[in-house]
Amino acid sequence: MKTMEVRLNVNGEAKQWTIAPGDLLLDVLRRQGYFGVKRGCEAGECGACTVLVDGKPINSCLMFAAQAEGSDVLTIEGVAHGDTLDPIQEAFLDHGAAQCGFCTPAMILNAKALLDQKPHPSEEEVREALAGTYCRCTGFRKPVEAVLAAASRAGRKPARREAAR
Amino acid sequence: MFDTVEAFYRPGTVREALRLLQNGKNRARVVAGGTDLVVEADQSIRFLIDITHAGLSYIRRKGKACVIGATTTMATLENSPAIRALADGILARAAATCGSVQIRNMATLGGNLANGSPAADTAAALLALDAEVVLAEARGRRKIPLTAFYSGLRKTAPGKALIVEVAIPALPRGGRWSFQKLGRTESDISLVNAAAGLQLDSQGRAKWVRIALGAVAPTPIRAVNAEKLLVGRKVDQSTLAEVCDEVAREVRPITDVRASAEYRRDMCRVLVRRALEECAAGTGCSL
Repeated sequence: MKTMEVRLNVNGEAKQWTIAPGDLLLDVLRRQGYFGVKRGCEAGECGACTVLVDGKPINSCLMFAAQAEGSDVLTIEGVAHGDTLDPIQEAFLDHGAAQCGFCTPAMILNAKALLDQKPHPSEEEVREALAGTYCRCTGFRKPVEAVLAAASRAGRKPARREAAR
Repeated sequence: MFDTVEAFYRPGTVREALRLLQNGKNRARVVAGGTDLVVEADQSIRFLIDITHAGLSYIRRKGKACVIGATTTMATLENSPAIRALADGILARAAATCGSVQIRNMATLGGNLANGSPAADTAAALLALDAEVVLAEARGRRKIPLTAFYSGLRKTAPGKALIVEVAIPALPRGGRWSFQKLGRTESDISLVNAAAGLQLDSQGRAKWVRIALGAVAPTPIRAVNAEKLLVGRKVDQSTLAEVCDEVAREVRPITDVRASAEYRRDMCRVLVRRALEECAAGTGCSL
């Protein structure tokens, strides 16, 4: 099989990977150990494979890895700062906004992209931002509450908490 | 999933993209947002040509006209002040309904047309704006009306040409526009979509009318008979009823998993009426 090199930043670290020209970003990220990027429908419907590319949420199941050349990719693994969770992650814990957890990385990354652009969104804007990520267990109320709570906390330093809790 | 792909190219110019497309013969495919291409998973693809670095992401005013580069994303369109201000923002509104946030960050205007889907949301809006598609080939560029771009179900005119730009000409002064969509959710695929444009003369009669619909025929269509029926007449409830009946005669919807043909036909009436009412209200005409 033909191969090529792709250079990109993942969670702030410069990477150079050998890929197949037809590889999808989802497959490459999981192959490299970023298992927070979930394989769901593989058709751009469920949103579980969401990552941020240059700050924007995209479905990694629909993007060729070669398209990420030169990009900054953020996965859920890069959202916390060491042991300090992001305020959105804190809020998801506080509001019980995760159940099985499969959609949680995508929910948090979509919320992060929204809050980075718009620190004080309306509830409607939060719902819109989460609409491309399907939760099949707890639903959307708690995630929406969590994102709104994270937004109202913005600017405050997040409390230290064990990332593995 | 794309194990057959031998090379992925990222041309920096349209000229280079065209050369690669030509060299790849039938085995080369253009990638822009990829949101339709990847799902299609065509196993005959050997070469992928990513045109998102070929300088085709732009929105420019050219006098009273507006040109939009083919790789401009739906997210860019929906947030662009120029597109939101153009023709009551119908193209921005249509772009904002083309799937989830993630999809709209990837999907492009050129791709929405190239995919050839009769349900393409931006197509109905563009038809109501008399849009033209600029195609590039090795021998040069040509501009065709969007009405001539579609040749049948999922069939489009370009052939080996590359869509490089969508051009929206100067629009009628004082015209008003509306975009309406019916889907299970706002961002789901349209069961029916409709766009309308209306300009009144000094006597309050319809002077310029555009009625476009999607997901109700093999291609996005203009309801030209219904348009003609309205031209020269006062826009009132009984005229609108006649126009909407004509629309229902002109469309050719199918029954599928999402809706029956009968339901779609009825919804054409409803959406076109809402669209024309919104246009009329915008012109200050009371119904």
